[in-house]
Amino acid sequence: MIGVISYLAFFATMAGILAIAVLGLNLQWGTTGLFNGGVVAFFGAGAYGTMILGGRPEPGQFGGFEAPFLLAVAGGVGLAGLVAWAVGLLTLRLRHDYLAIATFGVAVAFESVTRNAEWLTGGAKGLRGFPRPFEAAVGDPFLYGLLFLGAVLEALGLAWWGLERLTASPYGRALRAIREDEEAARAIGKNPARLRLQAFVVGAMLMGVSGALYATFYAFIRPQDLAPILTFQLWAMQLYTGSIQYILIGLVIVLMLLWRPEGLLPERIGRRTPNRTAGTAAATASKEATTP
Amino acid sequence: MIQNLADGILTGSVISLGAIGLTLIMHVLRFANFSYAELLGIGAYAALVFDRLLSALAPALAAAFRPLTLTGSLALATVLAMALTGASAVAIDRMVFRRIRARADPLSMVFASFGVALIVRNLITLAFGHRAQLYSNDIAFAEVVSRDPMLLIKPGQVFVLVAAVVLMLALHLILTRTTFGFALRAVAENPTLAQVAGVRLAAMVTAIWLIGGALSAAAGVFYALTNHLSPALGHNFVLPLFAATIAGGIGSVYGAVAGGFPVGIASGLSLMILPSGYTPAMPFLIILAVLLVRPHGLFGEARA
Amino acid sequence: MVYPTSIDWGKPIAETALWVAEMINAAGGVDGCKVDVVVRDDQADPKVGVDAAEALVDLDKVQLLIGTVSSGVTIPILTSVTAPAGVMQISCCSSSTRITALAADGTTKGLWFRTFATSKVQGSVAALLARDAGIRKVTIFQKNDDWGQDIARLAAEAFKGAGIEVAGQVAITDGQPSYRAEVTEALATRPEAVYLALYPKEGISVVREWIALGGTTKMIGTNSLKSDEIRDAVGLQYLADFIGTDTSTPRTDSAAAFPTTFETRFGRPPSGPGLPNSFDAAAIALLAYHAAGRGATGAEIAAKVPLVTDPAGEKIAGDVEGFRRAMALLSEGKSGSYQGGTGAVVFDRYGDVTAPAVSWTFGPGGVEERRYIPLEEVGAFIAALN
Repeated sequence: MIGVISYLAFFATMAGILAIAVLGLNLQWGTTGLFNGGVVAFFGAGAYGTMILGGRPEPGQFGGFEAPFLLAVAGGVGLAGLVAWAVGLLTLRLRHDYLAIATFGVAVAFESVTRNAEWLTGGAKGLRGFPRPFEAAVGDPFLYGLLFLGAVLEALGLAWWGLERLTASPYGRALRAIREDEEAARAIGKNPARLRLQAFVVGAMLMGVSGALYATFYAFIRPQDLAPILTFQLWAMQLYTGSIQYILIGLVIVLMLLWRPEGLLPERIGRRTPNRTAGTAAATASKEATTP
Repeated sequence: MIQNLADGILTGSVISLGAIGLTLIMHVLRFANFSYAELLGIGAYAALVFDRLLSALAPALAAAFRPLTLTGSLALATVLAMALTGASAVAIDRMVFRRIRARADPLSMVFASFGVALIVRNLITLAFGHRAQLYSNDIAFAEVVSRDPMLLIKPGQVFVLVAAVVLMLALHLILTRTTFGFALRAVAENPTLAQVAGVRLAAMVTAIWLIGGALSAAAGVFYALTNHLSPALGHNFVLPLFAATIAGGIGSVYGAVAGGFPVGIASGLSLMILPSGYTPAMPFLIILAVLLVRPHGLFGEARA
Repeated sequence: MVYPTSIDWGKPIAETALWVAEMINAAGGVDGCKVDVVVRDDQADPKVGVDAAEALVDLDKVQLLIGTVSSGVTIPILTSVTAPAGVMQISCCSSSTRITALAADGTTKGLWFRTFATSKVQGSVAALLARDAGIRKVTIFQKNDDWGQDIARLAAEAFKGAGIEVAGQVAITDGQPSYRAEVTEALATRPEAVYLALYPKEGISVVREWIALGGTTKMIGTNSLKSDEIRDAVGLQYLADFIGTDTSTPRTDSAAAFPTTFETRFGRPPSGPGLPNSFDAAAIALLAYHAAGRGATGAEIAAKVPLVTDPAGEKIAGDVEGFRRAMALLSEGKSGSYQGGTGAVVFDRYGDVTAPAVSWTFGPGGVEERRYIPLEEVGAFIAALN
């Protein structure tokens, strides 16, 4: 019985971690209408930033500062925000597909750096993390799993609560206003470019949190992890072609879109955790991104 | 430098050919179609099957046109594959995309296209296996065009470039000299207005899928002719095709043609400034640069 | 057990391990209990693999995890699942030297073993063969992933150590439409030979392009290229000067017997990679489990591994009879020297094995072995490099 709970806890932990990134995406696309095709870049910045700051030193490798856990995470999230700020300044005047491909390009470039800059990121073999915080102190793996899940859910709840407050506030209305009609928003004295950039950076920082927790949980991050997540989870599956189950997954998605285009569970993502199977995750992402 | 430029132009011609249909689809149907590149795979494998059939039926066709590795049967097979791929593109649209268009938003279409791409690629794998396949086992040696600077060109690549340009010219003539082409451009320009003017949108969408499928099939065959076939063939082109489409400007046929070349050239030239591991990122950095100067691509226009 | 069963080369590896479990059961089972092997697919994807391992440890309560192939999957399983949970892990095929480092700094807690020699053996042997062939200048094509970067770095060190100039190192990222630019770059370094640390998928493109552009046909390749796919797609006429490297099984009776017993069981020769290694990994692990007794923890099982692979012990054959004899010995607290598909396996303190090497070449009938390089020679060469 404990085994089942432990496994469910593991499962829920992963789902919770990814849900934080989905919240970030929801702020960017759902609220502000920014088509971010490069979620992995910000997720990755959070993960690598955390690992570099908090990791143990290794020969020939930059980083390994063994920073305290929260400081490392803060650094990772800060890095995600910084990357988003720079990317946003450059690309946010693009619209629709153009923005998507530009941000996607940023993600590819980011992945390239993590794969090739061995001195900084460990290259393709990845970056080894630090022991999970308090794991040694807790001792019992089962208890630790539950505690970790608790921490993740707390972070998720906090992010959700914060976003809920944000979107309900006049600020959130301003974001929605520029999504619906930029000219009108400008006419009532809003600065669309600045609001858009702010929403983009905040969303990206949530993706950074998700990345930081992800890397902490696995105690390991590598470029390959930066392919298969969230909106692009399916994409990564395509790399490993050849088994009938992928056909089935693809079929499920197509059928679902044919018969239930509004999604299986037409409610908001913040109140549930996304399933980790590719089909539902993609559907979740699609559903989420289409929710106004 | 010269070598990279020449290779880039040759690779670019395949990308351009593939991007033409994608740009029209993205513009008229308003969604990023991730399954589009799989048409290259369908085309290449269809040509493989037709080629084997034809050379078995008429062995005389199996002789290669030297110095190319291209055979008569493959040339015929390519034409058949273009027709078949065009038809498959229409069939996929009828079975999946048209239904979703009627009911849901563009993003559902994007995810449906992911699903379609998975299905197509896995069906190809089931039918043909993982292994790399070749139209011809011969290796066509590169000809030394110039020694200083060093420039090596494979005959097959020249053929591909010429054939691609011929196809593009043919499309250009259709677009500019026929009523059908006029209607097609009208739809690409402004679908709503074109409908008001009496153009049947549904028929035009079918035509676009046919043209796109046929050109993609040609691109797939041309690629496989100078490289090899594998189930991931189409998948490997997803990003270059999008890159060319966006760089050229969505909806612009000429933009797609013009966009393919920088994408092809970029990865070659990137090696001159960056280590080889960074090549995959280079086309996107080029696009980023293009978009910073021209936010709607080289030939694109702002749209509502 | 976690193996990439959905991948064509992964399935036989898993089947081989299951076969061992069958034989152990036929020989009486682990400490009198029938072994129940739970197989999970990792699809060579780290997330899927960790998920699978987590399920095995949590739900199935395993104390012994056999797997997996890709180092990129093995490492996260090791660091986030098995080592924290105190479960023993043994792999047939992961070759990354990174795991040696993990073992050295104590992360693996002595719970980790593998029956596959690290990339160091292959990388060094490439230099040995190049030196013997009189090559003085090589350019390296490396697959741009963890394995490729690892083996290319080790090979480059070995080449330099052997006095061979490394003119260039070109990374090949998979899934690119064309490798023409990369090949052109390598061509410009004008090497006497190229070293190919690639998989067949991109290897075919690179090698065909390389030859078409007039590159040298002197090629040294890793065991990953040991496939008919390469031979058929490139053509034998261009592969006459190709030399392949691979780690080998020692020339012992037990290793020589493996192909025959495999064929008897499966009706086909063991042609894929890692099959004898998979056999030995499973056999050693299960024998150690027997020695530790039912209900043993991962650490207790791991502690019994040296008993199974004690060079001074009585020789144990890798078949039902051998297993029965071994289990009797172990039950009495005596040690045995397991002689398996990869010979007499001995782990060092990091759970690594070393191995003799072979060079091979492509022939009309498939891969042909050229030269056997015994353990001592490999060891002496590596020692001379440093």
